Amino acid sequence: MIARFFNTLAGWGVTAELVAHLLIIVVVFFILQGMAAVLVYMERKVAAFVQQRYGPYLVGPRGLMQPLADIVKLMFKEELRPKAADTVLFYVAPLLSATAAFAAFSVVPFGADTDFSWLVKYSGLSSVLSWFGVTFTGLAQPIHLAAADVDIGLLVIFAITSMGVYGIVLAGWSSNSKYSLLGGLRSSAQMISYELSYGLSFAAVIMLAGSLSLREIVDMQGGYWFHAIPKWFLFLQPVGFLIFLIAGVAETNRAPFDFPEAEQELVAGYHTEYSSLSFSLFFLAEYVNMVTVSAVATDLFLGGWHGPFPLPAGFEWIWFVVKVFALLFFYIWMRWTLPRYRYDQLMEFGWKYLLPVAVINLLVTAGVVVTMGW
Amino acid sequence: MDTLFFWLLAAFAVMGSIGVIFQRNPMYSVVLLIVSFCALSGLYVLLGAPFVAAIQIIIYAGAIMVLFLFVVMLLNVGHEDALAGGMRAIGGAGPRRFGAVLSLVLLGELVWALSRLQGAPLAPRGGQAAASVGTIGLKLFRDYAFAFEATSVLILVAMVGAIVLARKERP
Repeated sequence: MIARFFNTLAGWGVTAELVAHLLIIVVVFFILQGMAAVLVYMERKVAAFVQQRYGPYLVGPRGLMQPLADIVKLMFKEELRPKAADTVLFYVAPLLSATAAFAAFSVVPFGADTDFSWLVKYSGLSSVLSWFGVTFTGLAQPIHLAAADVDIGLLVIFAITSMGVYGIVLAGWSSNSKYSLLGGLRSSAQMISYELSYGLSFAAVIMLAGSLSLREIVDMQGGYWFHAIPKWFLFLQPVGFLIFLIAGVAETNRAPFDFPEAEQELVAGYHTEYSSLSFSLFFLAEYVNMVTVSAVATDLFLGGWHGPFPLPAGFEWIWFVVKVFALLFFYIWMRWTLPRYRYDQLMEFGWKYLLPVAVINLLVTAGVVVTMGW
Repeated sequence: MDTLFFWLLAAFAVMGSIGVIFQRNPMYSVVLLIVSFCALSGLYVLLGAPFVAAIQIIIYAGAIMVLFLFVVMLLNVGHEDALAGGMRAIGGAGPRRFGAVLSLVLLGELVWALSRLQGAPLAPRGGQAAASVGTIGLKLFRDYAFAFEATSVLILVAMVGAIVLARKERP
């Protein structure tokens, strides 16, 4: 019966590759959503550790169920809207924020091409299927591990992140509250300022790799120098990596650059007037953006799924996950260690120090690439 | 499939543009213009020019429209009519007639240009490769280097001019 079902599907042109691709998209979407919960827990635990507290420990073992409790609490709160707010834009803004955050991750590759034979083998799926008279040991040809494999992936990420600004700006404006407006204005100014350095640090890597495709950039980082040092662009572009990290923090509006929501000055900044699920959408967007920045940094500078030592075929994505979590830990660590800058310091740093350094880095890289014929 | 997406994106682009003109609230106009730009970018993807599509979003929908939004927010123009006092100079009967004539000329030009396109292929000449980053870069910096540099000087002039106009003379 099952076998006939599969045959009918195949008759409609549904191939195993297509199913696998759709599954990847669904899995990426749900993992990103789940990452928000994981990061909430991680953030609270790391914060507690830094401040010598226990952090959440009541809900579930070691407080592991705390994010779930948070989400349920948020869901049952009342959805409030200020009377003077702009109805349409007030509801569109959080949607825009969350959509842009999720869309940006869609072009990030997170593992080597695979035919999923490892998954079928170790999950016992093949024995279950053979019980129904279906033989399946893996896809006929390997597919890319990414929701969408785009040739100009980096530009797409850049384009979508620049769309994410609108969510924050429109939220600030449509709330019709002075704190929200100030938060929105600050965030747009900040994101425009740091986007330049962000883009220039990209550009240096693009020059080295000679490609805009994230997958090709990662592929160039496979192998080792002297059989020991992995060929990561981190070692060729240490300055670029630093610029990317700093600008990435500013782009995601995280401490020490969290001016759009500086509590002491602006209550909660652009999302002051939001509550319940529309607030949680902003929350989700912030964490998903953190994951995306870390994932892009991993692909660009840390060799993606190429590790210090190779893992068995099919399991390369483990390196990717490890590196992304290391970067996420770094972000959280920074937030609870460094105090917030002053706003003028932020602008001065962005324009007078970070941007010139990024430009010089780009020029030096260009010079080396041209003269050495990389 | 492509045809379906074309009509969808085209509808978004046209409706968005019409909305920009008919909205009384400048904030909505800006947002609708962004929608229109994004739809245009989608059309570029359908035409086999993903690089142009990405650039369209990064430069127009991303950078330039953020500045528009910024200005609208800072001026805090709730309604177009609030500007009526200052806009009288270009809102009078004379300028309106002039504008009407200009738009008719533009319409004529568009009809003329589009009618010449009858039967022309929609994909870039030379296929996908002609729209790649490398080809565009070579064209821009080799064949059209002078025009490219001239444009950058033009933008610089505009920037310097804006600063000179906005700057208050200090004694």
